Amino acid sequence: MIRFLVKRVAQAVVVLLLVSVIVFVLLHLLPGGPARAILGVKATPESIAHFNHQQGYDRSLPQQYVMYLGRLLTGDLGESYKLNQSVTSLLAERLPKTALLAGLSIALAAVLAVPLGVLQAVRRGKAADYLLTGAAFLAYATPVFFLGLVLILVFSQQLQIFPAEAPQADTVGGLLADAPALVLPVVTTALGIIAAFSRYMRSAVLDNLEEDYVRTARAKGQSSARVMARHVLRNALIPLATLLGLYLPTLFSGTLVVESMFNYPGMGLLFWNAAQGSDFPVLLGVTLVVGVATVLGSLITDIAYAVLDPRIRSVS
Amino acid sequence: MTADPLSATTRPAPGPAAPLLAVEDLHVEITGRDRTVHALDGVSLDLAPGEALGIVGESGCGKTMTALSVLGLLPKGGRITGGRILFQDGSGRPADLAAAPEPALRDVRGNTIGMVFQDPLTSLNPTVTIGAQVAEPLLLHRETTRRDAWAKAEETLRLVGMPQPAERMRNYPHQLSGGMRQRVAIAMALVCEPRLLIADEPTTALDVTTQHQILELIDDLRARLGMAMILVTHDLGVIAKRVDRVAVMYGGRIAERAGVRGLFAAPRHRYTEALFAALPERAAAERTTLATIPGLPPALVTRPVGCRFAPRCAHATARCRTEEPALAGEAGHAYACFHPAGAEPVAAAEPAAAVDSVPDDRPTDPGILLDLDNVTKRYALHAGPFARRRGAREVGAVAGVSLTVTRGETFGIVGESGCGKSTLGRLVVGLEPPTDGTIRFAGRDIGALSRRELRAHRRDVQLMFQDSYASMDPRMRVGTILREPLVIQGIGDRAAQLRRVGALLDDVGLPRGAAERYPHEFSGGQRQRLGLARALALSPSLVVADEPVSALDVSVQAQILNLMRDLQREKGLTYLFISHDLAVVRHLADTVGVMYLGRLVETGPAREVFERPLHPYTRGLLDTVNAPDPTAPAAGTPLTGETPSAAAPPSGCRFRTRCPAARARCAESEPAPTEPAGPGHRVACHFPLVASPGPVSSG
Repeated sequence: MIRFLVKRVAQAVVVLLLVSVIVFVLLHLLPGGPARAILGVKATPESIAHFNHQQGYDRSLPQQYVMYLGRLLTGDLGESYKLNQSVTSLLAERLPKTALLAGLSIALAAVLAVPLGVLQAVRRGKAADYLLTGAAFLAYATPVFFLGLVLILVFSQQLQIFPAEAPQADTVGGLLADAPALVLPVVTTALGIIAAFSRYMRSAVLDNLEEDYVRTARAKGQSSARVMARHVLRNALIPLATLLGLYLPTLFSGTLVVESMFNYPGMGLLFWNAAQGSDFPVLLGVTLVVGVATVLGSLITDIAYAVLDPRIRSVS
Repeated sequence: MTADPLSATTRPAPGPAAPLLAVEDLHVEITGRDRTVHALDGVSLDLAPGEALGIVGESGCGKTMTALSVLGLLPKGGRITGGRILFQDGSGRPADLAAAPEPALRDVRGNTIGMVFQDPLTSLNPTVTIGAQVAEPLLLHRETTRRDAWAKAEETLRLVGMPQPAERMRNYPHQLSGGMRQRVAIAMALVCEPRLLIADEPTTALDVTTQHQILELIDDLRARLGMAMILVTHDLGVIAKRVDRVAVMYGGRIAERAGVRGLFAAPRHRYTEALFAALPERAAAERTTLATIPGLPPALVTRPVGCRFAPRCAHATARCRTEEPALAGEAGHAYACFHPAGAEPVAAAEPAAAVDSVPDDRPTDPGILLDLDNVTKRYALHAGPFARRRGAREVGAVAGVSLTVTRGETFGIVGESGCGKSTLGRLVVGLEPPTDGTIRFAGRDIGALSRRELRAHRRDVQLMFQDSYASMDPRMRVGTILREPLVIQGIGDRAAQLRRVGALLDDVGLPRGAAERYPHEFSGGQRQRLGLARALALSPSLVVADEPVSALDVSVQAQILNLMRDLQREKGLTYLFISHDLAVVRHLADTVGVMYLGRLVETGPAREVFERPLHPYTRGLLDTVNAPDPTAPAAGTPLTGETPSAAAPPSGCRFRTRCPAARARCAESEPAPTEPAGPGHRVACHFPLVASPGPVSSG
């Protein structure tokens, strides 16, 4: 198990280095180079050359990459062109908030989707199955912005239960303190995930119910409920672990719509604003974070796999 | 006699008159998406305490459904529509399991009736430890602490012959071999000391030697625990010595019910008789045509009129087709047949093609077609881009095999799973290059062929698979599948190719209309015919057949074996016939090679090798086989233990760890092939069994 983890972490580090290379290359593909982007289209060639020398952009690419990597390791991702703040501090401010939104959504999705999936599998072909299947497809097919609008319309405008704007606190604690304001953004994000997860859970449970070991367990005298709890559930969660890892990075970038809709002060909103203002260092900083989230997502998948499935543990 | 010395809960057995289990006129229907199958139609059985009953029959005959009904474990859509299943659980009056509610059935399952299923690889939960799985029934059915249940589970694992049971308790199923997993499955069924054990094809997925060990184990445990058993199998060899009485099932009914010796000595029902005749073991001599049963078992969607076997029976009369025979006969030997065997002179009426010897009209000067010289195939144990550089461990799947196959002969390769026989087949076909050594086909080294030549070479060597269904694209019509090799090789125009497809279907005895249908519309035997047709599409000279009949029922197996032989004679084919089934190889092969752990330990003419084996492994294999004959003398020295890992084969002779005659020298040096009993019969053994044709002596 330990060896397995060490190996996977080492692999993750290699992938992260590759991510940094890609981001670095993107940095150099900026239209007109960073100088033009910062100094504007009217800058003189002299001022551009001066800027390039000052920033080290006139050195060879490998040299620049090493410098970039060095800065990266010390947490220096450059300065925002527009916000007069370092990218690092911007990310440090926004990342936890997006992580909170993503984490709450995933947790809600997992808590609801697993029992929903099991219920559909057990009631396969019955009314509950069809009803939930229909609901899942509806939730999955509805665009997030429309879903958000409907939720705002119903729960904020009509019923006035939850506010339409996310809490604007600076800290995660502050966000949590205003829990009712978090409900709509979290639910909007989670609904699609619940739909997807419950479908996967349903088919995984159905697959496992067909397995011979389920028949063996019944031949021992186990009741259907306990066969489900003791035997099927764990095996059916294995494919869900893959899905979880795949969803993590999508969530980090995909909350963009939800964040701008609810004016949630997270990374998505930061990215959105940066994109509108051609704030390239911020854009690349966010890209790097999403890259890291992707790698972490697959690492988490692997670890979850190893915890759930003893066969994976001993192979590696 | 059923009083269980280990159990405190069971009471003294009732008198001998009361059966432990009585199935009375059981009817079972299975409702699928668009049709209802009458899986069981009036099955009656009884079983005395401590007695062993075998249920035999071909796939779809209802034998497994009978077993599953007893425990109320019918598959989805299945339900009991009539009849009673009376089970004496030791608490007084017998309970009717057919009418029992689910909670009552749960009390019986795993408690007073234990069940063992066919495939040990899938019937254990992969994510739960062995210990937890074996202890599970105890925690359900007994008032016991977790600790006591764990201790009892460990004791049961020891009882089923599991080495280091304490350690195994914490293992997961994938860490054990197939045979060991089946021991775990048996331990799970026995941990509550049931009065009845139901074993559904418990050894079908296992190797010959493991099969023997598991059957011995069940025998031994039955004697020790005094429990009754129902052994469900398609394999007549398995039940011959393991049960007291046998029920032969056909088309959802009992065709014949008798004591095991009586049944094997003189079967009365024509189906039973035909089944025995189709066994390769019972063929009059090698290289004769096997008796077959034409056609297929009834589908049971509509209730057949008359005797269910009548459409396939050589003795059927008008009465058989209109009236259903009842199960009747002498005491202890009942059969449902109007024209039972043994009632009139039988010689005149063998079913289907009579057993006549086939004249050997193969070419007299054959010449060598295939020549393997010291062929080796190694696989890296860990895949990945850096595996080789790190000097990773390797598995030698095939280790220095040399053999020659002459044109027109059938060369049989036998061995247990993992011995390298399938890899050898893949190397010969050219699907993979050997790591070392040369393979010469028609005098040319196929390793030295160019890409273009290799493509042409593929026409000459074709492969036939065990599972023809899995090897055919389910979305392609049969005509397209058969035409594909011709298209790839660019042979003929479209019209010529279609003519060839028609001719191929004629050759393998399928209607031409089959070309328009999809693979899933065919039965197992028909698919195997298609597999053969596909292999023959390019008119190869060599067909490598890898377990082509292993998935088939006996009667269908005989049809395919006969077909293969007929086509060989017609087309001058050469077969490399790979199988684990000694009887089939003995029946079909001219020359036999026996493989063990990547090595060819013995080769020679089939009759020589089977009648006077020189290698202790061959001897052991032959002694281990379950002959379909309850009166056969006890085998000499059945093989024990398990095959070691090919990643770390034993030093010297690879068989020495399981060899009864191994000595110091066997560990030191590897035996070179010799011919101690005459030319043509080679063996790689330091102490070949030259003197004694009988059981292994220490000489």
